[in-house]
Amino acid sequence: MNCPMQHRNSETLMAYAAGELDRETGAAIERHLSACPACRSKVAGQVALWNALDIWEAPPVSPDFDRRLYRRIREQVRLSWWERLARPFRPMPLRQALPLGATACLLVIASFLIQQTDGLAPVQPRSEVVRADQVERTLDDLELLRQFGPANQAETSRADTM
Amino acid sequence: MALAAAALSAAAGEPTAASDKPAAQQARPARNPIDRWNQMSPEERERELSKLPPERARQIRERIRRYNQLPAQEKQELREGYQKFAQLPADKQEIVRQSMREFRQLPMERRPLVRRAIGQLRAMPEGPRGARMNSEEFRSQFSPQERQIIRDITEYLPGQPK
Repeated sequence: MNCPMQHRNSETLMAYAAGELDRETGAAIERHLSACPACRSKVAGQVALWNALDIWEAPPVSPDFDRRLYRRIREQVRLSWWERLARPFRPMPLRQALPLGATACLLVIASFLIQQTDGLAPVQPRSEVVRADQVERTLDDLELLRQFGPANQAETSRADTM
Repeated sequence: MALAAAALSAAAGEPTAASDKPAAQQARPARNPIDRWNQMSPEERERELSKLPPERARQIRERIRRYNQLPAQEKQELREGYQKFAQLPADKQEIVRQSMREFRQLPMERRPLVRRAIGQLRAMPEGPRGARMNSEEFRSQFSPQERQIIRDITEYLPGQPK
């Protein structure tokens, strides 16, 4: 039989310790355990754990458990507005702060890059507003130019106004 | 709604975005203020016109309507002429404007002669043109004021009539 510990198959040993294996497989494990100190140790540890769990009893809940629990909840609710405001900013464990900080940095860099890209992107054409007096001046110029345009070269009495 | 707006614009002699782009205009590199005005929404145009006295606004509306009703070929030639005119330095633009205004003050019977002379001179290379303007025949045909008008317009009004 292949050694379960060498082949990373400790589930078989766990099942043996729990008495869940069939007789044939259990016999094979017993033969292996007689020759393998590592598996024997593993099984002994697992059996000890099962035995400990069997004899463990949960400690009784104190009679005033509920009363103390509800008092703590009320205290939390009664926090002043300042304490409630400051609660999210309490120092947090480094393990939680690091991923948050890294995410924030990435967001800042991404928004900066997006802004840069926006600056380089071609501007969408849109309707520009022209002032009426600007139009009037252009009409004046066009009217003057029209007098000497090709359309007027052959004509002598064409209306000059547009 | 858009169809109705287009129909109203067409009825008013104003080109719609689609009808305002004949094939010859596609190559036009820049739009003049009138073209840009025509691209504005009716609400934007009325908002700008409302900043002027009502009579002046009415005249501008009428002049734009007449401009928009010009034959496509003539409008295109005017656009090209205006584009070249607009590229002149401001002082030269003013000289041309002044000369063209003076032209309009000339007696009716003199205008065709002056206009024809301008057309002929603009079609000539620079050397022969100068010789022609300095010739005795030319001097005898036109008054000093007319010669100055012809000289200014010929020199500064870019492009040559086809």
